This record gives sequence, structure tokens and C-alpha cells, in this order.
Amino acid sequence: MKPVAIARVNLVRFFRDRSAIFSVFLLPMLIVLLLGAMQGGASVPKLGFVSAADDALTSELLSILQGVDGFEAVEIDGEDSAVRQVERGGLQAAVIVPAGYESTLRSGGDVEIRLVIRAGQEVQGIGEVIGAVITRQATLLRTARFAAQKGAGTFDEALAVAEVAQVALPPVSVEATIAGEPFVLAGLGQFDIFAQGMLVLFIFLTTLNGAANLIQSRQLGVTRRMYSTPTPVRTMLAGEALSRFSIAIIQGAFIFIGTWLVFGVDWGSPIGSTLTIIAFALVSTSAAMLLGALVSNDQQAGGISTALGLGLAALGGCMFPLAVLEMLSDTVYRVAHVTPHAWALEAFQALVAEDAGVADIAGFLLILVGYAAVFGVLATWRLRKVLVR
Amino acid sequence: MTAPAGGPVLECSGIRKSFGDHAAVKGIGFSIARGETYGLLGPNGAGKTTTISIIAGLLEADAGEVTLGGEPMNPDATHTKRLVGLVPQDLAIYPDLGAAENLDFFGRLHGMKGADLRRRVAEVLEIIELTDRADDRTQEYSGGMKRRLNIGVGLLHRPALLILDEPTVGVDPQSRNAILDSVEQLGEEGMAVLYTTHYMEEAERLCDRIGIVDQGELIAEGSQADLVRIVGQRDRLTLTATGSLAATAIALGGLAPVDDAAVTDDGIALIVDRAHDHLPEILAVAGRTGSLVKSVDVDSADLESVFLKLTGRALRE
Repeated sequence: MKPVAIARVNLVRFFRDRSAIFSVFLLPMLIVLLLGAMQGGASVPKLGFVSAADDALTSELLSILQGVDGFEAVEIDGEDSAVRQVERGGLQAAVIVPAGYESTLRSGGDVEIRLVIRAGQEVQGIGEVIGAVITRQATLLRTARFAAQKGAGTFDEALAVAEVAQVALPPVSVEATIAGEPFVLAGLGQFDIFAQGMLVLFIFLTTLNGAANLIQSRQLGVTRRMYSTPTPVRTMLAGEALSRFSIAIIQGAFIFIGTWLVFGVDWGSPIGSTLTIIAFALVSTSAAMLLGALVSNDQQAGGISTALGLGLAALGGCMFPLAVLEMLSDTVYRVAHVTPHAWALEAFQALVAEDAGVADIAGFLLILVGYAAVFGVLATWRLRKVLVR
Repeated sequence: MTAPAGGPVLECSGIRKSFGDHAAVKGIGFSIARGETYGLLGPNGAGKTTTISIIAGLLEADAGEVTLGGEPMNPDATHTKRLVGLVPQDLAIYPDLGAAENLDFFGRLHGMKGADLRRRVAEVLEIIELTDRADDRTQEYSGGMKRRLNIGVGLLHRPALLILDEPTVGVDPQSRNAILDSVEQLGEEGMAVLYTTHYMEEAERLCDRIGIVDQGELIAEGSQADLVRIVGQRDRLTLTATGSLAATAIALGGLAPVDDAAVTDDGIALIVDRAHDHLPEILAVAGRTGSLVKSVDVDSADLESVFLKLTGRALRE
């Protein structure tokens, strides 16, 4: 099997370069780790609760906040620490309850609760929820205080009546209608979105970098010597393509399995993910072959492959999720889909966020295979000429 | 991988090849028998590499015919390519693989595998004296070691015809000698060898027959003795000189005993009848025409003389 012999030698040469070990195995995992850590588990927003008081109303407020769905309320020791954590993204918001909260309220005084919210559209809703919870407690307290002042018993008796009355009152119903698509990041874990982006980025970048090996073989005269053996050009092409494809699959499989094992990344349907990796590996292979055919200098190829690998990844949504691009601009979102990267990411996001199956992502896979076919035909046409020159 | 016994291993006739307007090969033809070492001697750019590229099936000839062991050769003739071992002028090995890995790879491309391949790799490593360094990356080898491996790759599959394209270019004298010894040994073992060179001494030492190529044409062919007979009893006179070399060459060419005179890199080469008798006259003409002669060498006729006689130019111009 001559293609296997060619692929084997290319793989040995590729992985004999120590920088390849770093860029293929260590770098992607480090980036997923760093970006995931920066994201800080944002899928369950954290609310800091700071209180200088140790009274029943403060405990009750914390208890109410801890019972609210959509965020996790945690006690923080000290206002400065809470503000710092909000600034750094560890907390999405912090509620700061002043000393003497209960006693001031009982005595009829005004109390100011500080709410520190992290900048950003997505946390505005948390602020509104927290405000509503505090307002609800304050309303009950004001009602009880008013009743006590009017001689309807003690403050505690009036508060108990107000709490019962509030539960007994018919609620005001709010009918909500969902408009537009759900925000696609919803449902994705801390590392999921970055793992998908880095998998697509690194499959393409690593495979494209392999184009330099193809050019080196030509520069070394080895390709010409191969042609002097009883090896047809089509076999040489098959061997070179198999080399690039093997590198793409190794890269994809490593990130897929590595992030699943180390970071618990959810990849959705294993068959769907595997097919997406294979389809995108085919795109990367044919793109690398095309680059190897068009460029005659390996250093030039190295520069171009890095620029293309990173540029298309940024454009295609590997660094900024497609949903974010869509929020920024329709045009940017449409341009992103000129790249095969965007279609691969669409497939991965459908598999994870929408629990899609193979049939649901078939359209994305076909588009990827289409890219591979176009690049592959161009590369084959060009390489048949340059390989034997 | 031997050619059928009987006829010549290689036969080529009327080979022509042009690149755009430039005719690189203009109707070259010759044959090589089993066990024969045939030299293609000519200056750089004479068309030697284009000729062997066509013979090795790397290039399609515009016209002419090449057969190896009776089978036609062209770029698609995969079966015929098994009969050829090519040793290109430039090194064609992977620098980041060891000698054994390089040999194993090219052996597989020649369809070898398993125990036969392993055995043959070990044999070739012995022949090229790289057994001790078989696993070291070739980028750590000396120039001579790389050259030997380059030849080893060509030998691996026991070709019927081994083509060596200027295999000693840029090689130190010791390695060069080792390479020439190996080629002599291969010829003695019955392999047909096509050896291109612009070093006259190599052609004289190795080749049973020599074809002299110039400007894409085979201008003479035969054994060394046959070729030297073209020059007759004349001597080759080499003047190492500076000054008005062109004017001196023209003036010397007009002397009765001088057959040919050509300017070389560092002087003038002449074919002269009984050079010793006419040396004073030649030196006088050189002085009169503005050349300062630093040294004089007189040699009996050789391939250099033949080339000068046939082309009016020195082989290494």
C-alpha cells in the first residue's frame, strides 16, 4: 500500500518536529482551559451576598435569594471582596446589606441596599430579579410597619398577617410570548463553546501547516524521485492526501477526547460529532493540498497557513461564538458562513445545544463535503502538474 | 529487477525535447548493454540531465523512442520504471529521517516489503558503509555520507539500469573516490550504468563507452581509445595565463601546428601537433598579443582534447 507508506513517512516527519507536539497536543488544551476559566462557569451566574448584620430579616433575604432560580446566591465576606469579584467576572452581581438592616426597618428608618452589577447586557436581568426580590420584602415590611403604626398590633403580628395576606391574594398573571431564537450559548457548559471553536480552529490550522511538508518534499527533490519509482501520480496524491487527513483526524480526535475527559465537555451525539470532525478534516485536507499546490516555498506556506488558519477561524466564529457575531451584525454573521468553519460550528452547536442527531446536521455535513470537493478538485488539478515538475 | 537477457538494457534513439523555444535535446540516441558503464560527458547545460530525465520516465520526450529491457519508457510506464534506479544530481532524501528509514521508504515505493526489504536495506547500508549510522538523521551526515545514501536509494531495488547524474558534484576527494569505487563494482557485478559527468577523469576511469554531448547533441561516441583517435597524435597544451586571452587564442589558432585554441576560465587550451617542438613560438605569440603566461602543461590527447577538437571549446568552459 504505497499511499500508506507515503502517509506514514509524512506522519513520522511531522511528529518528529517537537514544535508540532506542542501545537497539536498542548496548545489547544491550554487555550480551552484558559478561555473556559475566564468564562468562570457563566452558565450558572453567581450572586454575592454581603451582610454586616446578623438578624432575621437579613437571613430571610438571603434565603429568598438562594431560592430564586437562574442564579446561585453565595455569602461573601466583605464588601471590597465582593466588588472585586464582580469586576473580575467571578460574580455577576453582589447585594450589600448594611449593618442594622432589621432594626432600622423596625424603627421606621430608611435602609439602602447596594446592588453591584457587572457590566454587560446578559446580567441586567439578574439585577431586575434581585431588585424585585428586595422590593417584595420591603413592601411587606412597609405594610407591617404601617399596620403597627395604625394600631393593628405589634410589628411582628402585622408582618405575619401581611405575609399570609400576600400569599392569599390572587397573583397578577403575566403572559409571556417568546420571540426570536434562543440565545445559542444557553445550555452550553463552561468549556463547551471554546472546545468547539478550538477543535475547528486547530484541525484547520494544523492540517494547513502540513502543507509546508508537501512543499519541502518537492524542494528536496524527493517528490521527483518518487515519480521515478513505479508510483503513479494518483498514488502519490493519495498518499499526500492521506497524510494530511491523518493529521487532521489525530488533531480532532485529541481535542474531542481530551476536552471530554479533562473538562467534561459535552459534544452531543458521538456519531454526529465524529461525522462533523471527519467532514471538517476532509475540508482541511483539501485546503492544505491546495495551498501546497499553489505555493512553492515552505516558509511562505508557513506564513500563509498561519494567517489563513487564524483569520478564517476568527471570521468563522471559532474565537467569537456565532451567536455573538449574529448579535453584532447580520452582515458579519453572513460573511462568517463563507468559511467552512462556521458550518462545522453550526453542526457542533446543533448537536449540543439542540440535542440534534445526525439527520438534523446532514445539511451542514453536505456543505462541508462540498467545500472539500471544490478544494480537492482544484488541488488535484494543480498538484498533478507541480508534483512531477 | 533485471532486464531480459539478450538485447541491450537501454536503447534510445532520436530523443528530442524542447522547453519553449529552447531545444534542450536534439535527437540523442545510444544503447547500453548489461554490465556496461556508459558515460554521458558534456559541459553544464549540454542536455545530459534532460536526456536522463526522459530515460528515467520523468519527462515525456517530444520525439524519439526509449526502451528498457525491450519495454517502452515514458512517464506513465509504471512497469518499466521498475527497471531503473535513479540517482539525481541534487540530494533527494529526507533530512529528518535516518538512512534506514529513507531506504525503507523508497523500497516500499518500488514494491518491496517484509523480510526481503529489511534484508536489502541492511545489504545496501553495508555497501554504502552507513550501517553504523543507519538510525541517525541524515541532516547530521557529512556531504559524502549523504551522497552515498543518495546512491544507495538508487541501488536498493536491484535495478537493471542505474542512472547516476553527476553523483560526485560537491563531494570531498575521499568520498568521491569511494563513490567511483562503488560504481566500478556495480559494473563488474553486471549492472548497466549510465553515468553523466563533466569531469573527464571520471569518464575515463569508469566508462566502457562514452558519449560526448554538447548543446543537446551527441557529437561523438565510442570507447576512450576510439574517441582519442579523433584527435590523432596531437597534444593538449594548457596555458595558465592572464591578459588579452581572446586575442591570444585567435592569434594562436592561426599557427600551422595549432588545431584548436579556446579560452578557458584561467587561460587558453590548445590542440597542438608535437607541442614541445612549437612551445617557443606559441609563448612568443602569447607575449606579443598581450597575455602573460604563468604556467604551461603539455598532455597527450585525452577526452578534454577530443571535446576541444570537436567543439572548439574547453569542456569546463
